[in-house]
Parts: sequence; structure tokens; C-alpha cells
Amino acid sequence: MRKQYNSAALLFTVVFICGGALLLSRAVKAAGEGKITGTVKLDGVAPHMKGIDMSKDPVCVKAHATDPGHLETVVAGANGGLENVVLYISDWSGPATTSTTVPVFDQKNCMYTPHVLAMDVGQTFKVTTSDPTTHNIHPLPNPMTGNIPWNQSQPPNAAPVEKSWKAAEMIPVQCNIHPWMHGWFVVVKGPYATTDSNGSYTINNVPPGNYTVTAWQETYGTTVQKVTVAAGAAATADFTFKAK
Amino acid sequence: MSTLTRSRLGRLSLSTSFLTAALVLVFLVLSASQPASALPAFARKYGLRCSACHESWPMLNFFGQKFKDNGYQLMNDRDAPIWQNPGYWPVTFRITPIWHRVSAGKVEVDTYADGNPTGSTIQRVTSSGFDLSGLDFHTAGTLEKNISFYLLPSSDSTGAFHFEQVFVRLDNIFHSPWFNIKLGRFELDNLLSEKRILTLTGNGGIYQTYHFIPVGDGNIFGQIGDNQLGLEYMGHSVNDRTRVSAALVSSSDGNVNLSTGANSYTGYFTGSQAFDTGKLGVQRIGFYAMVGEAATYYLTQGGVPLGGSGVANKGFSREGFVGQFYFGPHVDLTVVTQHGSDNPWFGQGYGNAILSDGNGGTTATCSSPLPGCPFNNVPGTALPVGAQSPTWNGYTFEGHYVYSPQLIFIGRYEVEKMSQQANGAACTACTGGLGGGQSASNLGNISSYTIGFRYNPFMTSRAGLAWHNEYNWLHQDGTGPVIGLPYANINTSEVLLGLDFDF
Amino acid sequence: MRTRLQRWSLLLGATAVLALPMSLWAQLTQYDLNTRLGAESHIGNTTGHAKDAALPYRRFCVGCHGPLGDGNGENAPYMQPPMFQQPRDFQLGVFKCRSTPTGTLPTDQDLYDSITRGFDRSNMPQWNTLSKQERADLVAWVKHFSPRWANEKPGTPIVIPPEPEVTADRIKAGRDVFARVQCWKCHGVQGMANGPSASTLTDDLGRPIAAFNFTDGSRPKCGDTDQDVYRIFMTGLDGTPMPSFADNIKPEEAWDLVFYLRTFMQQKSKEKVLAKQLGLKPVDPNAPAPTQ
Repeated sequence: MRKQYNSAALLFTVVFICGGALLLSRAVKAAGEGKITGTVKLDGVAPHMKGIDMSKDPVCVKAHATDPGHLETVVAGANGGLENVVLYISDWSGPATTSTTVPVFDQKNCMYTPHVLAMDVGQTFKVTTSDPTTHNIHPLPNPMTGNIPWNQSQPPNAAPVEKSWKAAEMIPVQCNIHPWMHGWFVVVKGPYATTDSNGSYTINNVPPGNYTVTAWQETYGTTVQKVTVAAGAAATADFTFKAK
Repeated sequence: MSTLTRSRLGRLSLSTSFLTAALVLVFLVLSASQPASALPAFARKYGLRCSACHESWPMLNFFGQKFKDNGYQLMNDRDAPIWQNPGYWPVTFRITPIWHRVSAGKVEVDTYADGNPTGSTIQRVTSSGFDLSGLDFHTAGTLEKNISFYLLPSSDSTGAFHFEQVFVRLDNIFHSPWFNIKLGRFELDNLLSEKRILTLTGNGGIYQTYHFIPVGDGNIFGQIGDNQLGLEYMGHSVNDRTRVSAALVSSSDGNVNLSTGANSYTGYFTGSQAFDTGKLGVQRIGFYAMVGEAATYYLTQGGVPLGGSGVANKGFSREGFVGQFYFGPHVDLTVVTQHGSDNPWFGQGYGNAILSDGNGGTTATCSSPLPGCPFNNVPGTALPVGAQSPTWNGYTFEGHYVYSPQLIFIGRYEVEKMSQQANGAACTACTGGLGGGQSASNLGNISSYTIGFRYNPFMTSRAGLAWHNEYNWLHQDGTGPVIGLPYANINTSEVLLGLDFDF
Repeated sequence: MRTRLQRWSLLLGATAVLALPMSLWAQLTQYDLNTRLGAESHIGNTTGHAKDAALPYRRFCVGCHGPLGDGNGENAPYMQPPMFQQPRDFQLGVFKCRSTPTGTLPTDQDLYDSITRGFDRSNMPQWNTLSKQERADLVAWVKHFSPRWANEKPGTPIVIPPEPEVTADRIKAGRDVFARVQCWKCHGVQGMANGPSASTLTDDLGRPIAAFNFTDGSRPKCGDTDQDVYRIFMTGLDGTPMPSFADNIKPEEAWDLVFYLRTFMQQKSKEKVLAKQLGLKPVDPNAPAPTQ
């Protein structure tokens, strides 16, 4: 009788210790996730962003009566910081991260806001229109990747279009009615970030390890850097694109 | 300006104009060699390969037949010439250099001994060598949407030209494929087209069933394989499964300038229906009927028949069935039957008293009863006792094995059998057949075997080249030089190898 | 005034830009295609088999669509947009004429109808003389060019309600739909393809393309019955600027729009007679867009 009691207690202790270690280690892991932060700058003089002739649609002209629209292929701040650059981990081998937030891609004043929308593979996003003129939302992925092009109209006050993408790709977006409207859906695997108007970014939720971080800008292409993320710490990676 | 300067200028301008002409010629030649001009006209215009319309060019498949029935149009609202590249010129050349060997049986030849003629004998004559077929210069297409045309100046191997085909067609009248009118000189609406025949030998390059004329018969106007002058109505369903046509042509065998009958016409009627039979393919069954009149009496002047004055019309008819049968994607068989009948006058040798030169014109006329001249049915002539209406039945079987769009094997068997001779039992002084008394029942019967293959080494939409190989053997009863029992049959054979160019 | 060198470099540059996306996109090799020779199609009671279609494809289609089905046949360079659209690239699996929503694969019947009907104002003929079996085999062959069919099912065909009677009220309502979703931006207020955005339209591969001109007697590319016209704007023409209006036009309103569009076309119709009686005027492009 005493022998049985002892083995039961022994078993319970072993299970308790192992379970605890497991729980603790998980907590340790969560606490150990770091981030990658930095700035992306343009080395050289930023190209002049031409003004857009929106006379095809008087509604667009009216919307830009005081503030003319400009091309947004290179948006550089006063200190050379590049906006709309997407940073992602190109050799991400971890589990697929699909956020449940639904980012919004808006058609406002006959321009796309934001100009570049980064998202996870499989993440649902919304396309909305805030304009009193009809647009059509026409992303142009390469069908060979598994992303299939579609084309839907959005008249004034139309309901949002909710979609998602199956594969990682830089997808150009256009409106056929307003040919100057160009934007991007940047679909990536793993954690990512987009630079703000100062060119600064922070990629959160990066487990410790060695990674290759790629910065993508629509005109200048990509540039990479190797980064090591320590547990719970912030690694820094600054990128520079050379102006052509 | 001094005379010297002016003459120098004159010479300069002459050489300049010469140079300009040379440059223009070079430009024309160079532009002709660009993809946009001087190539198989329809393939180039629409970007389809030759094999899309031709089972093996020049023979049409059902898609090509529909294209032709639409007036050489795809019906895509882009058929009018205004939609074409300005450099496009709808011209196709076809010429076939060949080597062939012809063996004619039972030819009467003189015999000699010690340099002196000693009579004649009958023997086989064989000859062979390199040769040219004629040159065809096709230009066809649309003048405007739903107005199509075809102009085909064709030369024989000596370079003598005639107009083989010249017509204008109003297509899809009332916006309906059931109303199309063609006017000019054209091939009759035969599903098995002789002008698109896949064989080239003398006897194998025509369909015996389309040209059969009983021995001694003077009616040359019932040849359904020859291009005729007239007017044709044609209608078809949108997918071309149902086709009908009715043509009214002059009984002149396509000869121009009103050279034959004063008022003789022939009607030609066809109809066919195609059926989709699943895995076997599409099968088509149809009929044709030719019923016409042609003159037997030509007014004469000093004994010489006057062209265009033919009267005393007598009738003739040809009718039969056509079947196009497909057995899967590689094998097909076409069957044409014919029952032909000529008026007894034709059987006795009356008919075309005006000698045709074979090229749509007439040679110097001659007046009978000179030997070799057709008979002229002058008033008061009586039909010989015992004269009958020559009638016959003919069959053509043509099979193809289409290994691929580039390689086709052809086999054909034709038989023409008289069922009633022109010279009946009561004949003693008949002028039909071989003359005299009753004709043998098989006089003039023909059987013809043709086999061959055509290989197209390349297949694009720019040009066509076929390596052509063919053997034909023809047998005819009773037309050998020896008359009387046992009457002489002749066998003629031909082997032909050639390169058929189409560009 | 550009120098000749500048003009030539511009032309070369433009060609390179146009050619580059096409060369990057359709990259399947013969080996890849051979893995899908078992593709099948189902049209009514007929089953088409890709392996039986190799010879008919070579006979009828390869001159334009190319041996790899990528639209690079020997004649493709001579079809100049916008007058002649280029042959379809089957490897991309994107098709104009479907009964299924935008971004989805067409049904076998859609492909069969496209082959049978041909495409007006293009070099794609009506292949209605071919037997049903042959056309079904060719549909299977078209499917074998793109890996999409191995991984995806075709979309669900849209539901088309029964066609109502043509009335003057419906034509007026159709005009309101035309104004609300602003079709005239490309098609023009009288359907003459002269809207403000018409001149800069390009297809998915960046080549110039023209909007449909309702008034010049042409037939719509995806068939000219009322149901075909309904399907065009309720599924969109994938690969072109024409979007799907399925989320913005209700099915009953869609029939109204079909009737209004008929009033532009040259073919005689009850709609044209009613429109004339109504004295219907074109939409005013300067009026503010009416709300739903």
C-alpha cells in the first residue's frame, strides 16, 4: 500500500515539474520575442514627383483644387527618409502569421491611401471608396504565383470589397478609369513593417535568431541586410537606397 | 540654258528615272518578301495556318468550306479590306515543277524496214522527263464586307493564260447566310472539288466521274468538273451544316464570248446536310443534279458553223449522291455517284460543232462531214435508226489517311459503266460510238486507280510546299485503235513526282 | 523635336517594357504541360480529353496561340492592339467570357461557348463547324495549359433571374443605373467608346485596349443574347479594364441596364422603339453622380 502511494506521488511530481517547465518555457519564449527597428534613407537627391493632370475627371480636379496631386513613386521626407518602404524577413521559416486585423485601402481624392499596403499571406483586407466618382479596383498579380487578378467597380458609396491573397508577391494596383492611380499590395510571409513619413519602421514579434531583412521600394527595388535578434531586445537595421 | 547643259540634264534625268524605277522594283520585291504581302492570301490575312481550312491543302475541310461559303470571310466584323495592314496584297501563286513518266498503251505507230514505211503496228509508248504544271495566280477575298471576289488567271505549262475563275459574290444578303449570289465564271458547287484535287497526273488529276463523255458523244457541256459561266444562288446554315445551291449557267462549258448555243442553259442544283456523330466526327450526305440543254445545230456560212448561233437544243442530265464520311481524326472517305443521260442526238455525235480550244475559246471552225469535225445537226438530218440515249452510272471513291496536317495519303478508285450505249441493236449506219452497227455493251467503260501521298515539310501561315508523289492507272474498254472483236482496251499509267509550291 | 536615336531608343524601351512582363509571366515549359495531359472537360453528356486534342490544336489553334498556349504563335506579332487584341495566353488561366465571378475560373461550358462563338472583331473564328467532341477535347487542352485547374475549382456561375418584359420604365431605370455607376466614363454617354477615360485604357499586360463601342454594329465579344450582355457586366471581363458590377448592381436593376444598352446598338429591337417613343436623352456627364 505504501509503495503504491509513493509511486503515485512520484508520478504526480514528475508531471508537475515537466508541465511547469513547459509552461514556464513558453512564457520565456513570449517574453523573448524581440524587434527590428531602423530607418530607410535615400542617398542623393530625391527625384521630382510630377504633378498629375486629373482633367479626365472634374470631380478629381475639384478635390485637388488647393492641393494638387503628385506621383508617389518616391516619397522622401526632409531628412531623406523614404516613406512607403516595406521591410520583411525574406528567409522567414517560422509558422505563417496571419493577423486578424483588417487593414483598409481607401480611394480618396482620386489617390490611394495608403499608397502601399503591406499584409500577411491570407490576411483579409478591405478596399473602400470615399470619392463621389466611380473607381474600379484592379490589382494585377502574376497569376503564376497563385494570386488571381480580379477587377471590381466601386461607384460612390459602394460597400467595401473584402479580399485576401494566397501567395507572397508585390502586387501593383491600378484604377483603369483614373490611369494615374497606382498603389501596391505587398503580401509577405512572417513579420513586416512599413516606413512612415520619417522613414522609420519597427518590425515587432520577431523571435530571437538570425534573419535576412529585405527592404523593398517600388522604384529602387530591394536591398538586404543580415540581422541578429536577441531575446527581448531590439536589433537595428538601417537601409539606404541610392538615388538614380 | 545651253544645249549642252540641257542634254546633260536630259541624260541625268533619264538615268535618275532609271534609278528610281530600279529602286521602286527593289522596294516592291523587298516589301513582297515581308510577311505582310505576297503569301497564301487567307492564312496571312487572318493569322490561321493553312491546315485550319485545308484538310491538306488544297483540299478543304469543313471549317474551310464554311469560310468559303461565307464569302471568304471569318464573319468577325473585320473582314473588309479596310481593316488590313495597307501592305497586305491578297495574292497567291501556285506552280508545280514535276518529273513524270507516262505510259500509253495501244498506240498505233508506223513501221519501217530499210528506211521505207511498211504499215503500222500497235504498241505501248512510254515517255518521261521533267515538266511544269501550269501557273495559277489566285487573288481573292473581300472588296468590302459581304462582297467577295475571286480572280484566277491560269496558264498552262506553255504560259498561255486564260481566266480560270472570275466572279463577284454578294454574301449574306438580308444579313442572312441563306442568301448569297455569285456571278461570273466559277466552279460548280461540288463538295468533292476538282479544282482542289489532291492529285496531279493527267488522268488522276481530274475526276473521271465529272468528265465522262461516252465514245462518240458530242455533248461536252455536261462536265461538272469544268468552271462554268453563270449565276449561282447559295444558302447555308450558320454553322454550315446545311447547304443548298441552285445555279443557272450557259451551256458553253465555260467558253466566253457567246461562242456556242444561242439560247442554251443548264441548271445545277445541290443540297447537303452534315451530322455530328460524336467521336467519329461530322458526316455529310448530299445530292447534286444537273439538267440542261445544249445546241446541236449551228447556222453555217459557206459551210462553216457560226459561233454563237447554236439552236435545236437537246437535253441532258447528270445526277447523283455525295457522301463525306469521317472515321475519327485520321481517316475519311468521300463517295460520289452519278447517273448520266444524254439525248440520242448527242449520242450520235451531234453537239458541239464549234471546236473548243480547251482554254475557254474556240479554234478555227471546220464543217462536217470532214473527218475529226463534230457533226452539225443541219435541218433535215434524221436521227439514225437504232439510236438510243446513252446512259451510264459512275462511282468515285476517294479515301484519305491524314497522318498529321502535314502528311496525307490518298487512294482513289473510279469506275464509269455504260448502262445503255448510243448505238442500239437496230443500228446499221449509226454515227455514234465507233460508228456502224450496235456498240459493245462495255464500249467506253473506264476504271481508274490512283494512289499517292503529299508531304508538307513545314506548315506555317506564310507559304506552302508539298512533296507530291502519285501513281495512276486508267483502263478504258474498246477505244484502242483496233476495231472489232476482240475490241481493244487501253491501259495508261503515269508516275509523277513533284514539288507543289504555294506562296 | 526628338532625334532619330531618341525615337528608336524610346521604341526599343517601350518594346522591352511591354515584352518584359509577358516573358516573366508565362514561363511553363513543355515538360510542365506534359504533366497535365490527363485534363478532361465535361460539356453536357460529352467528355473531352486533352490527349485527343493535340492534333486539332496543331491544325487550328497553334498559329495564334502558340505551341505552349502562351499566345505567342507565329502570327501574334502581327495582331496589333488596339485594333486586334492579341491571342489569349492560356497559361495565365485568366479569361474574359465567363459565367463565374471575377477572379475565378470559367466553367467548361464557358470555354466551349467561347470556342464555338468565336470573338467578334478579333481573329478568333467561330469554330462551330467542328464536332462537339472535338470542341470538348480542345476545351480540355486549353485547361491543360494552366496549373490553376489542378488546384482550383471553377467559380460558381452567377444566378441570372428570368428576363422580364421590356417596358419604358425599365429602360428609364436602366439609364439611371448607367448614370449611377458611371459606365459612360469609358463607354461614353451614347455608348460610342469615347468617354473621358477611354483613350488610356490598357489590359492586364499593359497593352492598349478599346472599350466596346455599342453603336458601330459590332456584336459584344461574349455573345449577343440578352443573357450574355447581363453576364458581361455582372462578372466583368477578366484581363481587361472592364470590372464586375456584381456588388453594385442588383439583379433586377441589371436587366434594366441590359435594356438600356440595347438602345445604343444598331440591331433593331423593342428597346430602341421604346427609347425613341420616350425621347430618351443621353446621361449628362456633368450632373453629380446620383446615389444608390
